[in-house]
Amino acid sequence: MRRVHTFENIILELKQYWQQQDCLLFEPYNSEVGAGTFNPATFIRILDTKPWNVCYVEISKRPRDGRYAKNPHRVQQFYQLQVIMKPAPDDIQKIYLQSLEHLGLKLKEHEVKFVKGDWDAPTLGAWGLGWEVWLDGMEITQFTYFQQAGGIDLPVIPVEITYGLERIAMALQDVSSIFDLKWNNDLSWGDVYEQNELEFSKYNFEEADPGFLTSLFNEFEAEAQKLYDRGLVLPGYDYTIKCSHLFNVIEARGVISISERAQMIGRVRALANRAARLYLEQNAAQQKKDSEKT
Amino acid sequence: MIDFLLEIGFEEFPPAFLEKSAEDLSTGVENLLKDKRIFYRSVRTIYTPRRMGVLILGMPRKQKSQVVEIQGPPKKVAFDSKGKPTEMLLGFMKANELKQAQLFIKKTRKGEYACGKKEIAGVNTEDILYTEVPKIIRSLEFPKTMVWNEGSDRFPRPVRWVVALLDRRPLRFEYAGVKADRYSMPNFHFSFKPIRLEKPREYINFLRHGGVVVDPNERRRIILKRIKEASAKMTGEPLYTDEMIDEINCITEYPEVVTGEFDNQYLGLPEEVLLTVLKNQGNLIWVKGTNKFICVFSAKKKAIQNVKKGYTQVIEAKLYDALFYFKNDLRQGLENMLEQTKGMMWLKDLGTLYDKAVRLQRFVELFRDESRLDMDVLRRAALLCKADLLSQMVREKDFTSLQGIIGGYYAKVSSTEKVAMAIKEHYRPNFVGDDLPQTKEGAVLSVADKIDNVMGAFLSGNRPSSSYDPLGIRRNGYAVVNLIDAYSFTVSLSHAVDEILKLHGEKYKDFDTGVISEFFIERVSRYLQDKGFRYDEINAVLANWDSDVTDARMRCQALKEFRGKPEFTKLVIGQKRVRNILKDVKEVTEVNEKLLKEPAEIKLYQEGRKTTHQLGIMMEQKSYTEVLKLLLAMRLFIDKFFDDVLVMCEDVKLRDNRLALVHFINNLFMQFVDFSQIVIEGEKQR
Repeated sequence: MRRVHTFENIILELKQYWQQQDCLLFEPYNSEVGAGTFNPATFIRILDTKPWNVCYVEISKRPRDGRYAKNPHRVQQFYQLQVIMKPAPDDIQKIYLQSLEHLGLKLKEHEVKFVKGDWDAPTLGAWGLGWEVWLDGMEITQFTYFQQAGGIDLPVIPVEITYGLERIAMALQDVSSIFDLKWNNDLSWGDVYEQNELEFSKYNFEEADPGFLTSLFNEFEAEAQKLYDRGLVLPGYDYTIKCSHLFNVIEARGVISISERAQMIGRVRALANRAARLYLEQNAAQQKKDSEKT
Repeated sequence: MIDFLLEIGFEEFPPAFLEKSAEDLSTGVENLLKDKRIFYRSVRTIYTPRRMGVLILGMPRKQKSQVVEIQGPPKKVAFDSKGKPTEMLLGFMKANELKQAQLFIKKTRKGEYACGKKEIAGVNTEDILYTEVPKIIRSLEFPKTMVWNEGSDRFPRPVRWVVALLDRRPLRFEYAGVKADRYSMPNFHFSFKPIRLEKPREYINFLRHGGVVVDPNERRRIILKRIKEASAKMTGEPLYTDEMIDEINCITEYPEVVTGEFDNQYLGLPEEVLLTVLKNQGNLIWVKGTNKFICVFSAKKKAIQNVKKGYTQVIEAKLYDALFYFKNDLRQGLENMLEQTKGMMWLKDLGTLYDKAVRLQRFVELFRDESRLDMDVLRRAALLCKADLLSQMVREKDFTSLQGIIGGYYAKVSSTEKVAMAIKEHYRPNFVGDDLPQTKEGAVLSVADKIDNVMGAFLSGNRPSSSYDPLGIRRNGYAVVNLIDAYSFTVSLSHAVDEILKLHGEKYKDFDTGVISEFFIERVSRYLQDKGFRYDEINAVLANWDSDVTDARMRCQALKEFRGKPEFTKLVIGQKRVRNILKDVKEVTEVNEKLLKEPAEIKLYQEGRKTTHQLGIMMEQKSYTEVLKLLLAMRLFIDKFFDDVLVMCEDVKLRDNRLALVHFINNLFMQFVDFSQIVIEGEKQR
């Protein structure tokens, strides 16, 4: 009998696979993020030259994408499996493709297409070149070679592989709605998250108070700057992440114009860039100290 | 005879410049062979998304040998009085490895020289390719490159293997951290096992077995054939462009085709929406008028069912969204969206989108006197044209590019067809070379909207700098110029800019529009360059420009036509003489007729007066060829004046009066264009 690929099994299998590729198994960040890239395990760790291989699940929150649980393909919160390998191995594409085979997707029976998708995260001052990976036309992964983060040219190029777990599960389970995905043998994705989708859609589109959120944004921004002033990179960056999420909610509410939007993005980017610069400065200072000792 | 295969293997290359890059590579290798006198029987350019290269058949093992002549010392010093070789000649022979028998005397224009003639044996083709091919690869230029390892070579995507096989021997040069060898890679849907090539001639067939059609022309033929076969049994025509097929060709290693169907209800969507969905999903081809699409994919035939199911699902989900937005939007109506624009900021401190719509509505009054312009249509369209930005459809990023087009559909519900058309067209042209609006109302609205965008950018601190144009207003400005010229609108740009500024309110009344004039002069200049005028012609016209675009083009045209004639230089030099003498003069008076003494200056003045009158008439009629004739006729009197009269004489009164005369004559020329900007060939540049 064919094994049922429950959602939780897919996560387990992928984690196992990347563990075998010598990735450290990490966990999600503890505050709302739009993508696994925001997790310091990516954004901060890719800045320096030390090798870093990591794999973790991240809860991705995209307030704009909520559809009150009505659209079978769109939700405002989903799961990503994030892999960072620094430096990127030469055969990384093959390693990735074999991870799909590890999940039971036979490449002989599907089309896997690498579709050009230069990636950039304007709020993080980060960009890279790579692809969306399409499985039979459905985007299941973002595959990116980072070039810059926090406005800084990266000294060692990492590869970022971000699986859209629900999308892959839909293909593997052959269901056409995210809500019908089997989470385990008893419960569906919808059983777990439908109410959450409904309520958060209502919150994001109707109840979120833009005035309140904007004032929070301003205060968090000031807090982040203050923390950076005191040399505290990670707490400062933590508030940067919070600003980014607040911005996403304000944007979903549909009350800001194109230019205001660009401005807020610029403010978050300035915070992220500062985190990156500060981290590298402190790193360099530490190295200098270490070398003076020896 | 030997063959050569070069294949650079990489992760999926950006389709937009794959063909060009592959052609550059193959041209580079061909030019090398020609340059090095290595003949070949055939050459084939190769590319797929994962490789590019060149296959050359039938080359000699060695470069063709060459007979060269080397010039030595003059005969006089090459031989002594007894006819024996001098030290100098012997030195020359030694340096060039020449024997006595290879020497001969050559007569040149400078006299007789001792020369040597010898045959240089050809270098091995292998040696040439080994050293030169990596240089060719490194010299390729791409719009965007990346780094992926510690190597210093940049390429658009990571290079993972290189095949460089000369007959049975790999040329093991290194590029991008990869050592060239004899192993290629198959289509990964088929296998991960490298393909070992014994010789270049195996390449095409071995790769075909590996799921790769390496020749792009062959692949293109297969794609077209498969599409034709798939659509043969259908009622509609497959709707595709050459560009779509090219792009499909650049993302496909092994073309297979499958047909899919979406639910009939989605045929209720605007065609543009349907096509956008299908195109965004990997260039799916719509069978016009039906619910069918054709998908070209690049995997094993076995995948056909999964591919069909997968693409259909994705398409249906997107169409579901689109139809959902479309129905909601129609239910809401464009007028309601217009209401909502009151809450939507346009640009920082510049009010809402609604304010912008009202401003456009007022601004288009400026075009009231244009012929055959339906002002009622225009006013209505101006008010409604931004409302669709509040529609669910346009707010979805897949369909943002359909702004205006979507508004046009929604406008049909409660406005006339003509209003809908003007709204639909008012973003055009979206890029240089894009179609212009077909209706005059659409064109006016486009001009108005874009002038307001330009003004908005300047007022909100988003003016373009050398490399940064946050709101894309250079494109807007160019489109304004293009439209005004294409439709021969009589509006003066500077007047339009003043008007739009007024409509932005009291707050900005002190804004200096000089920067905007400069901005537009640059756009006009670029536009005229694209129309094929030379930069000096354009500078001459724009040096003294009253901001009438069409007129600037006409003056350029007259200049350009006149330029071909022999009198042109005369005319230009005429004004240049006049200009030169005025260069350092700051103040001039009126010409005082009584102070004119010499016959030549009296004559020049009289002719100038006569010409002034006629020139006025011709300028009015825009008969610029006549204008040029009139100005040319002045040359005779100008020359005579400069020959006979000393302008910078000691008598200050006379001098000032003569300068005034020269100034007066200069103004005649300047009324048309500033000829001194024209660069005459052979003339020293100042």
